[in-house]
Amino acid sequence: MANEPPVPLPHAQGPLSGYRVIDLADEKGQLCARLLGELGADVVKVEPREGHATRHNGPFFRGDEGPDTSLYWWSMNAGKRSVTCELRLEPGRELFRDLVRKADILIETGKPGEMAALGLGYDALQQVNPGLVMVSITNYGQTGPYRDLEATDIVASALGGHMFLNGDMEKGPVRTTAPQAYAQVNVQAGVGAMTALYARAVNDGRGQHVDVSMQEAMANAMDNTQQTWDIRHLNPIRPGIRRNAAGQYGARYLFETKDGWLTALQVGGLIGPGANTIIDWLAETGEARGLESPEWRVKLTSMQPLDERDRDYVEETLNEFCKKRLKDDLVREAQARGGGWAPVLSPHEIVDNAHLLDREFWIRVQHEDIGESFIYPGPPARFEHTPWQQRGRAPHLGEHNEQVYCDLLGKEEAELRRLRARMVI
Amino acid sequence: MSSLVTPGWKKPFAGLRVADFAWVGVGPTVSKYLADQGAEVIRIESSTYPEALRRVPPFVNDEPGLDNSGYYANFNSSKLGMTVNLKHARGPELVKRLIKECDIVTESFTPGTMARFGLDYASLAEGRDDLVMIAMPLYGQTGPWSSYMGYGHVLQAAAGFNHLTGWPDEPPIGTGIAYTDFLVPHIAAIALIAALDYRRRTGKGQFIDFGQMEAAVHGLGTAVLEWTANGHDQTRMGNHDPEAAPHGCYRCRDGRYIVLACTTEKQWDGFKAALGRPDWCDLERMRRRWQRLNEQKEIDRHIQAWVEDVTVDPAHPDAEDPDADPEIPVVRMSTEQLMMHFQKFGVPCGIVNSPEAMHSDPQIVHRGHYWKLEHPVMGMRTYDGPAFRLSDTPSELTKAAPLLGENNEYVYKELVGLSDDEFVELLADGAFE
Repeated sequence: MANEPPVPLPHAQGPLSGYRVIDLADEKGQLCARLLGELGADVVKVEPREGHATRHNGPFFRGDEGPDTSLYWWSMNAGKRSVTCELRLEPGRELFRDLVRKADILIETGKPGEMAALGLGYDALQQVNPGLVMVSITNYGQTGPYRDLEATDIVASALGGHMFLNGDMEKGPVRTTAPQAYAQVNVQAGVGAMTALYARAVNDGRGQHVDVSMQEAMANAMDNTQQTWDIRHLNPIRPGIRRNAAGQYGARYLFETKDGWLTALQVGGLIGPGANTIIDWLAETGEARGLESPEWRVKLTSMQPLDERDRDYVEETLNEFCKKRLKDDLVREAQARGGGWAPVLSPHEIVDNAHLLDREFWIRVQHEDIGESFIYPGPPARFEHTPWQQRGRAPHLGEHNEQVYCDLLGKEEAELRRLRARMVI
Repeated sequence: MSSLVTPGWKKPFAGLRVADFAWVGVGPTVSKYLADQGAEVIRIESSTYPEALRRVPPFVNDEPGLDNSGYYANFNSSKLGMTVNLKHARGPELVKRLIKECDIVTESFTPGTMARFGLDYASLAEGRDDLVMIAMPLYGQTGPWSSYMGYGHVLQAAAGFNHLTGWPDEPPIGTGIAYTDFLVPHIAAIALIAALDYRRRTGKGQFIDFGQMEAAVHGLGTAVLEWTANGHDQTRMGNHDPEAAPHGCYRCRDGRYIVLACTTEKQWDGFKAALGRPDWCDLERMRRRWQRLNEQKEIDRHIQAWVEDVTVDPAHPDAEDPDADPEIPVVRMSTEQLMMHFQKFGVPCGIVNSPEAMHSDPQIVHRGHYWKLEHPVMGMRTYDGPAFRLSDTPSELTKAAPLLGENNEYVYKELVGLSDDEFVELLADGAFE
């Protein structure tokens, strides 16, 4: 073909090389499809003629809104192929069914019943391709009293119980600004997709329908608070800079440094069995404020709760110590002494982080279309024989129409022209 | 328990055996996905150095006990348990013999720990090429931080979640939990099952170096690219959103909170209708989304006041609102009714469910998200289920978490191949502690 698109980059050595994924998803499934692509699957993003709505999700490159400048789109759809296909028209659905015949996994995020209304429900598509694994990701699942309700990230965080755990007793619950319900449902749907793919191989090639709920994905991000209710009938508090301890304020874990913040867990912090190492450190610099005494040492390592005045004194001591120093220096020294501390890092600081740089984590991705290249996150898992691979920039709308429809589905150029004229693609 | 699996179907991982050294949160979640789908997962523990979570509450009747932690139990249902003392002269050899009978090894120790006992991948894979092993420490196998200690509660700081959770100009409080423990295992499970599928097709196993921090970075949405492409370092915005307004969390009269979000103009229209079209909604500076993004504080004030006006405190259902305008009749709503009121107008809205409320949330109950399992020490308890249902081979929690060393006899006699005499001898010698 004359104009072979420069993306996606080939990836024949991945653990999923040879599989094909059709991606009809919105925010609830695009990351899932991308991760499968980076493991080797050929991911085909199917978009309506006007482009998928998430092409208009901000932020935008240099603030210029347009179908090819969404950093959301870049982040979640990197390395996929894009075809246009109008599912509201029967010829479009016919084309889609042809694509389904060539696919192993379909990821879709329509409201319950939406695909069926188009004649593309699981039962219909299973007729087309009995081996198809259809992953349907919805706000609340395919069934139940909430099935038709709306949700966005914050709503699923709330109804999924996770948001109750975050925040402050005065100010109320708080959401993580980087959307976590979307992140969670994507990766948990990925496990469901992989499980069904594996199940197919041991069940005579039969696919399954995978019904995924964003609310339930967040319910699985509640730490031990579900069991704490079940066993002790206690709800947690929102602990702010402290930790929740079964509905009480636990130890403070966030401390201010000269240049930001760090986390010092009580294991390896100033309160707990590892306290002596930290007390010694403070004593060496003359900043222990009396905590080096045998009485304090016993108190701090005993695991018995401190009274409020003692606790404030201890935490103030550590806070004063940290405030005079840089977080990286503090963490390095604490770790050398056996304290499990970590700095609070911003996205910028993560990109500059020496550890990740040493592991050559980051990938520079070419955007040849605008003559630029940008740093993207690297491998979430490093395989000995079947490497993870970033697959290049996100596709333009319909960039792979010819490649997919002609090379893969065997359509003639003339047929493509007809489909274009009929506004199918 | 009768199986939910469609007759004529096999659970995908039936016949696979996992030696599960992984402890605390991340690793056990990964192997549980396999266990709930038919794999025989054997938790390898020590009674001398018990798994940390066995010592963490909640405990039934508040009695600390290694077989009494709900925290441990939730991560380890559907699995078997065995104990070994790796510092006993024969410990590592016994484990190696077990691993010969296994397909998969999972671990999450600080790099080098497994090698110290001769249990590194190279040693375990000697003479076979089908072993799959995934190592899942915080920071991966190499690099200056690879020896760093910590838990999910501090990794959420290094991975950006603290910075991105909290209110602007206030401390980076992060989530209230060990957040990354509940994010990265799913990514590890995807990687592991992908490697298993490759093994199924080729017969080849491999080692997977999984660094929790690196996986967690993939959960940061657009934050990385917004820095690398735009030079903008995203930060925490309370409950606001850079792209949607209104977007917030509001206190109802009963002390609970609701959240709502308008990401589209259609939802904003629905929102206005839901409020009965008060004047402030029609101000020129509220017209478009990009304008409303600058007015979030004012929008929050209006919504908070309205929510307080319309909701009822069940403790004082008839109390008069002293500030209420007597000319305007107010239809009072429960918090549940308020959520459904917004939903009726197409506005994404939900209650901030407490753990208590989760157990009676109509949708969660309908979906059967929580499982009830009888545990010999802890009794009938509630366990989390997966967020997905497979139509023909749904995941099943087949048994409560193992007691410490519960399956020693099976593992040592049937799998390791010890005779009755050897078993008793090693038991007496402390090899299983």
